Amino acid sequence: MVRVAARKGYEATTVAEVAAAADISRQRFHELFADKEACFLAAYDAAVDILLVYVTNTFESADGSWPDRIVASLRAGIGFLAAEADIARMAVVEVSAVGEDARIRYRQALMRFAPLLDQGRAASPQGHDLPPGTASFAIGAVTSMIFDEIRAGRATELPRILPKLAYSVLMPYLGPEAAEAEMARIEV
Amino acid sequence: MLEAVGAEGYALASVRSVLGRTGLYRQAFYDHFADKQDCYLQAYDHGVEQVETRVRAAAGDASSWRAGLRAGMGAMLDFIEAEPDVGRALLVEVHAAGPEALAKRDAAVRQLGTYLDQARDDGAAAAPAIASEAVAAGIHSVLHARLAAHEDDGFRRLLPEFMYIAVLPYYGAEAASAEMYGGAI
Repeated sequence: MVRVAARKGYEATTVAEVAAAADISRQRFHELFADKEACFLAAYDAAVDILLVYVTNTFESADGSWPDRIVASLRAGIGFLAAEADIARMAVVEVSAVGEDARIRYRQALMRFAPLLDQGRAASPQGHDLPPGTASFAIGAVTSMIFDEIRAGRATELPRILPKLAYSVLMPYLGPEAAEAEMARIEV
Repeated sequence: MLEAVGAEGYALASVRSVLGRTGLYRQAFYDHFADKQDCYLQAYDHGVEQVETRVRAAAGDASSWRAGLRAGMGAMLDFIEAEPDVGRALLVEVHAAGPEALAKRDAAVRQLGTYLDQARDDGAAAAPAIASEAVAAGIHSVLHARLAAHEDDGFRRLLPEFMYIAVLPYYGAEAASAEMYGGAI
């Protein structure tokens, strides 16, 4: 499913092709999944779980300040997507064409990163003055930039946009000057 | 068209449902539009133009970038609050309507970024070039998330947070907090 949806787009993907790619019969496919959408969502959930564990582990095990750990996590996340271009295409771009359930799942998956970001409240000079939706802005900005790159067929070049992703996450928490200084320290 | 797409989703909305909503005859529809996609693309342009007109009218005689931004974003949020289906058709369903629609969406988001960058002519500090992209993307995806989940009220209440995030890269944390908490309406 991952391969077929990434190459052909979700709309054009058929159950017959997915079954053929997985080397199973159509009947076997329908024993496993109700329909194309159910199969896509199962593949999507698996991909998101791997990405989330990978990024969270990077954050937990990274040394240094909160901004350092965020940059390390972003680097890990886009490194994963760059190396797994089919998963990236399926889980970031095609998911938006699947329908409402998939969009809600996409959003919920992204918000699982919020606790890592909100540790930045302690590092922020504004602290409790920060808007409640700060993590939503940061996550939204980062995912929309990643979405644009992958959609344009530049998944493998994602590591190059690390500085602007870092700025987009750090700026809402640390303010513009500190975020710019952190961005300048990043080696791509 | 936009109401049908916002309520039913682009994939499910049919020419028939558009005819049902507008009272238009099938022949008249095809006199004007090649197909559903053509109708959506024209409706998209019209919808964006409607939002722009309201934003410009609201922000028109503001005395500063910040005042203009507050008025303009307020008008945009009012529009979405009043017409959530249209908002959903423009922001969410555009992803299901093909590459030409996505190109229009990219242009609209870029325009929001250009609008934000006018702060640079208004005596704001030198923010890096990506500041406006980060803010526009953040604001866009907060709206997108709500509309996609059919959370169709409370848009107006987002204004203080939107002002915070938009003012922050140009004027710093103190000014951003003042917009959020001191929020002179």
